[in-house]
Amino acid sequence: MEMTSIIAARDLVKRFGSFQAVKGISFEVEQGHCIGLLGPNGAGKTTTMRMIMGLSTVSGGTLEVFDIPVGAMTRGIKSKIGLVPQESNLDSDITVSENLKVYGRYFGLAANVIGERVPRLLEFMQLHERAESRVTQLSGGMKRRLIIARALISDPELIILDEPTKGLDPQARVLIWNQLLELKRRGKTLLLTTHNMDEAQRLCDRIIIVDHGEILDEGSPRDLIDRHVLGHVFEVGKPLPAALNGKHWEHEDIGDAVLFYVRSSDDFVAGLPDSADFIQRPANLEDVFLRLTGRKLREN
Amino acid sequence: MLAAPITSTLAVTWRQYVVWRKLLRSSIATNVLNPILFLFAFGFGLGRFIDSMQGVSYMAFVVPGMIGYAAMFAASFETTIGAFSRFYQQRNWDAVLSTPVKLRELLFGEVLWAALKAMISAVCVLVVGWLWGGIPSLSGALIALPIVFVAALGFASYGLVATSMAQGYEFFSYFFTFWVTPMFVFCGVFFEIDRFPIYIQAISWVLPMTHLIAIIRPLTVGLPVDMAMMAFHLGYSVALTIAAFAIAFLQIRRRMFD
Repeated sequence: MEMTSIIAARDLVKRFGSFQAVKGISFEVEQGHCIGLLGPNGAGKTTTMRMIMGLSTVSGGTLEVFDIPVGAMTRGIKSKIGLVPQESNLDSDITVSENLKVYGRYFGLAANVIGERVPRLLEFMQLHERAESRVTQLSGGMKRRLIIARALISDPELIILDEPTKGLDPQARVLIWNQLLELKRRGKTLLLTTHNMDEAQRLCDRIIIVDHGEILDEGSPRDLIDRHVLGHVFEVGKPLPAALNGKHWEHEDIGDAVLFYVRSSDDFVAGLPDSADFIQRPANLEDVFLRLTGRKLREN
Repeated sequence: MLAAPITSTLAVTWRQYVVWRKLLRSSIATNVLNPILFLFAFGFGLGRFIDSMQGVSYMAFVVPGMIGYAAMFAASFETTIGAFSRFYQQRNWDAVLSTPVKLRELLFGEVLWAALKAMISAVCVLVVGWLWGGIPSLSGALIALPIVFVAALGFASYGLVATSMAQGYEFFSYFFTFWVTPMFVFCGVFFEIDRFPIYIQAISWVLPMTHLIAIIRPLTVGLPVDMAMMAFHLGYSVALTIAAFAIAFLQIRRRMFD
């Protein structure tokens, strides 16, 4: 069966003056899937999301959402997208339920539709007890939940989430993950960015790793791990045992230790002397991420 | 069912109203009390020394001026400090534009709300001024109100131009010093502009406030109205408003989407 693409980007470019934030990327987001956009800060993730929302003009290439170029997006199409931005832009002076009611009006929803959806969404994000609280009285986790509830007011088919669990405690994170998985079960399409690899691995069917405005690789979490870090990681302290020199294991020097990526741990261990100092663990998405995007800090 | 651009615009205005209800007290202090305090100052202070101006009592002269000033101040404040914090600090405009609401509807919703707030201030000054005997023609004053509303759409749009250029709150000190205060001083709010040398009067007639007061003062005073002149003053204000709104729209579009 042919998959329906909800988002289709071809050679998508975004320029800010002479700086190219997105350098001709192509990707698709299929209906009913959760796609993760992963990359270090400044990789072009938020810019890409803003272009999908029509909040930023496209400098080159094409970008279609629901088969319509973003530049020609109609109100009907816009209503099918819910955005969870990275920074809170809730109305902090009014209450939780007022935030949802006000937002519903932007979609032109009738008062009775809004009135029926607000309690349901508050219940869904477990905010019903705080319906009449002012936003200023909410914790960070509650604010994030409210932003997600707000993005759902128009019952969108596509939900775009920019770091939905940024800065939250594990309890709040788990609640959000469960509700996002529930949305996926209901057939919603999700596109999310995150720096939490555990989150990406749990939620995403497919992951697109971007850096410096380019796609480095994409695939399911399992495929990516298989392709780049094989399955097992051995962190071996320096100096390396002589037995490892000259053998052609996939490896990466990280300073005071070397990481070896191996498919079969038995083969690797067999070649090590008993005195070797190493840590062994299953390879995960974080290994893939660091291998592809490098270990240098990005804050500069 | 209203057309989508209208419901979108009204949704933006409605949001401002919902927030305003919560912040009623500080809002009333700025927009209503402020001009009324001025009215007291002029009435008790200056008014004692001036028997008449342009052939009417000083109160009858100054009340329409203060109605115009109150409307101008409220509308300017709303689309500068108010709109800028929604745009820049609270990121409310980002939230709105993530929905089907389009930028021009968002901006017109802002302008419409600013004009409605201007009317609240103008009506309060009108009522106080009337109780004080500063409105010889109440029917004329009622005719003046819709004209004040049209002018307030303009004052809101000029403020929006400043917001479209501002990089921080400090910028608005220029706006208030070089735009709002001159409209208080040079436009016949509390004394007649014919006292100025001719080149200052030329500046006065560029500023939209002069045209507003030229329309509403004869109305509240109860003088015969020259329809042709009224059409001219109103036409000038409307043209300036459209130009300002277009400039603000184009600049904000460039700033937000490029």
